[in-house]
Amino acid sequence: MAAVTAAQPRASKTESYVDNKRKEDIRQANINAARSVADAVRTSLGPKGMDKMISTANGEVIITNDGATILNKMEVLQPAAKMLVELSKSQDAAAGDGTTTVVVIAGAILKQCLSLLSHGIHPTVISDSLHKASTKAVDVLTAMAVPLELSDRESLIKSASTSLNSKVVSQYSTLLAPLAVDSVLSVVDPEKPDMVDLRDIKIVKKLGGTVDDTQLVKGLVFDKKASHAAGGPTRMENAKIAVIQFQISPPKTDIEQSIVVSDYTQMDRILKEERNYILGMIKKIKATGCNVLLIQKSILRDAVTDLSLHYLAKAKIMVIKDVERDDIEFITKTLNCLPIANIEHFRAEKLGYADLVEEVSLGDAKIVKVTGIKDMGRTTTVLVRGSNQLVIDEAERSLHDALCVVRCLVSKRFLIAGGGAPEIELSRQLGAWSKVLHGMEGYCVRSFAEALEVIPYTLAENAGLNPIAIVTELRNRHAQGEINAGINVRKGQITNILEENVVQPLLVSTSAITLATECVRMILKIDDIVNVR
Amino acid sequence: MAIERILKDDASEEKGERARTASFVGAIAITDLVKTTLGPKGMDKILQSTGRGQEVTVTNDGATILKSLHIDNPAAKVLIDISKVQDDEVGDGTTSVVVLAGELLREAEKLVAAKIHPMTIISGYRIAAECARNALLQRVVDNKENAEKFKSDLMKIAKTTLSSKILSQDKEHFAQLAVDAVMRLKGSTNLEAIQIIKKPGGSLKDSFLDEGFILDKKIGLGQPKRIENAKILVANTAMDTDKVKIYGARVRVDSMSKVAEIEGAEKEKMREKVQKIIAHGINCFVNRQLIYNFPEELFADAGVLAIEHADFDGIERLALVTGGEIASTFDNPESVKLGHCKLIEEIMIGEDKLIHFSGVEMGQACTIVLRGASHHMLDEAERSLHDALCVLSQTVNDTRVVLGGGWPEMVMAKAVDELARQTPGKKSHAIEAFSRSLVAIPTIIADNAGLDSADLVAQLRAEHHKEGCNAGIDVISGSVGDMAELGISESFKVKQAVLLSATEAAEMILRVDEIITCAPRKREDRM
Repeated sequence: MAAVTAAQPRASKTESYVDNKRKEDIRQANINAARSVADAVRTSLGPKGMDKMISTANGEVIITNDGATILNKMEVLQPAAKMLVELSKSQDAAAGDGTTTVVVIAGAILKQCLSLLSHGIHPTVISDSLHKASTKAVDVLTAMAVPLELSDRESLIKSASTSLNSKVVSQYSTLLAPLAVDSVLSVVDPEKPDMVDLRDIKIVKKLGGTVDDTQLVKGLVFDKKASHAAGGPTRMENAKIAVIQFQISPPKTDIEQSIVVSDYTQMDRILKEERNYILGMIKKIKATGCNVLLIQKSILRDAVTDLSLHYLAKAKIMVIKDVERDDIEFITKTLNCLPIANIEHFRAEKLGYADLVEEVSLGDAKIVKVTGIKDMGRTTTVLVRGSNQLVIDEAERSLHDALCVVRCLVSKRFLIAGGGAPEIELSRQLGAWSKVLHGMEGYCVRSFAEALEVIPYTLAENAGLNPIAIVTELRNRHAQGEINAGINVRKGQITNILEENVVQPLLVSTSAITLATECVRMILKIDDIVNVR
Repeated sequence: MAIERILKDDASEEKGERARTASFVGAIAITDLVKTTLGPKGMDKILQSTGRGQEVTVTNDGATILKSLHIDNPAAKVLIDISKVQDDEVGDGTTSVVVLAGELLREAEKLVAAKIHPMTIISGYRIAAECARNALLQRVVDNKENAEKFKSDLMKIAKTTLSSKILSQDKEHFAQLAVDAVMRLKGSTNLEAIQIIKKPGGSLKDSFLDEGFILDKKIGLGQPKRIENAKILVANTAMDTDKVKIYGARVRVDSMSKVAEIEGAEKEKMREKVQKIIAHGINCFVNRQLIYNFPEELFADAGVLAIEHADFDGIERLALVTGGEIASTFDNPESVKLGHCKLIEEIMIGEDKLIHFSGVEMGQACTIVLRGASHHMLDEAERSLHDALCVLSQTVNDTRVVLGGGWPEMVMAKAVDELARQTPGKKSHAIEAFSRSLVAIPTIIADNAGLDSADLVAQLRAEHHKEGCNAGIDVISGSVGDMAELGISESFKVKQAVLLSATEAAEMILRVDEIITCAPRKREDRM
């Protein structure tokens, strides 16, 4: 405070013109823009948070509760507001869940900063104090956390359902939570127990049915029909599966070519040659015992022609065509086979084996399921169903969040209470700590502590409770040493939240606090916006 | 009448006083823009792109800010140029050089208003700059002989450079990173061997230095994921097909089997090419272009690790660090220099899989993996780290070190002031002005920290009146402190470059007495 008041008369002493007004304005504008973004997503926080309907420029409608998705589609222009959108994306990448929380926290800290700035505290001082406070906050959180074993499936499910409870699909959380836990646990590599690659979990969406019908498939699911042309088989037991990257169609060279036909008999011969050519390829395939073919999509020429499909059907080979090149890695990993790029290399050892490949009808659509794969790789497929596209999309996003929660727990095996308990506890402990600190620092840490109360406050507000009564009650309970007291939204009162099974991974909370602080510090340090090329 | 039409229609001309004023105004405006980023408590700027995408950059780096500005003032362009040169030459001090040049011009403006000829000012500035350099030279510390001390000097310099940047909270960590990386270079200033990879996620503290080389690519399907004692062939060749590049080349055949034969021949050609490549005795093949499914499978069959689509930067670096050459024909295996490394393996950073080459030929190569909350953060962290690396690598060559925190400016100002008192004639005014401009730098550092600059600078001046004092501005406590104790150091080379190029730029702008704007080239209106 003294710093800036002393700085004011100095301007006349050194006779240099210092334009402080504009800088204050820019900082204010940045903070206000960022706060308005935070306010926009605030109401979607918590189990009783509301959803947003977003109508995109091309007329598409999205209904979601996921902070990252809302912000992503908002198309903000103001640079500081954009930084908040980035912040939510980072949280999505780092922890996967808590994307709304992080933005709401950042908004609350910025609000406190505004009043600190108006007291004339230098932005860098605020920034440094915030950094200290956030490091301390992480320590407090870590001390509160409860260690967890991966074998403790119950706790994992609890935390996944906490994440799912705030979504549209909350009534299905009993189904989706164990599903998320099982799918993540099944892809954990025993050699690298801390690493989970979510790309090993494939989510296939299929319209029809309800979310209840969502299932975990130990194997592969293709969102495609088996090829029906010429009545090929659609069910194959003891399947020998080949993934091919070449085409079963008349030859095509890279150099431009044309066949010159001079008379009628020649035409006949060419047709026959074409048939022989394809037949030759199929015979080679059949010779290895292969009976299911997965054919990679080709842009250069037709992957299969009607003729080749006909012959394949005759040879009793089931065909699934138009497999994307990006999916090949996942498929080969799952099937434990190798892709085949040339007919000459078509050998039995490159095939994958499965007990059953069959086409299943789901409503009016059909999918192909591969189950009972021999030596299956560490991958999983989840088949998501829903009554309309909006529900399916939201279900997928929610499931993704739940998967991320479980992943967080795998990489950092600590749980923490939910329901606003950690935030209130942080606020209390940091508040106490701020009294020990000297000077500006204490003042700033105090504000940081106050800002954190926004989470229980918003939770209560969104649940239609009296936020002031709830937050003060909560503070009281924590002061008496009940560090796990939190808001029980379902009952509308304060209870020990650990007993209510509302838990979340430690990583989500810590990364929300550190990321939000980093973002706020960055916004504070900006004093000018320059238009450039 | 004819004289009026010397210039073309749209060209304009500004003369004498007007031209000089225009230069001053432009240069000072630029200075004021970047001035607030100076020092450990300097602020950042948002650069908002007006182009497509409206990209946002947050930065504290003077060179980056100036580089991206729209400027239509010739004098301002000169300043931007010196900042660029400073960036290329020494890497740091890009803001300082512009601020010093701006301050020199600000002082010159007053002198010109007092009817002192620009040439007199210039010669005064020249004498002053020479004197300032000598004064600084007398006070440099050179720890070249003492390796232990020199390393701590490097640490100090790195910390000082980083403390004004976004990395300031973790400056210990990053200073260590930068020093380690530069020490590996063993005196070469080739920063190409230090690769910086940015991966969002985690926090800045999770950044680390890795010996070896990391390529942000995937290993082909079904190929070994780990190779020891790798022999690497780096190539830039088409691995889809070798096309005949004559327009309209085509073959005419009269039957389907012929087409199949041609197709077979093409495949055969590819197979030959792959075999030629394998015949080099390699077990790792890195190509800049795509590798299609067919050759990929051939490589997989031969147990060769093939990496496709490594970008230009990637393969050039890889060739450099593994000691190989980029090949594009494969007929003479003996003439191609292969790269070597001890181990290639797949590693995971954050959510992404990368390929790690360790034990590479060029021992000085290393990779710094930066982690951070967002792209803004990472970009800025990279710029900051780059500055630190540049300064360090320069310091390794020129081991002279001076103190920081406004100390060198005060030392120079004192010497220049004394010179002014001894110099007769109008020049002394210019020399005095030079000393005032030097003092402006500590003033701005104090201002940015929200401190009472007038008071602090006066204290500093008094301290410096004593012989051999180490006083500078301690921004953290907001008072005058001993820079040697606080461990704030800067590279002499940076300071010297700041001093000399700022003086030269100021001189150049002062000399101008006429600005001629050429007529813009007309664009043909095409329908």
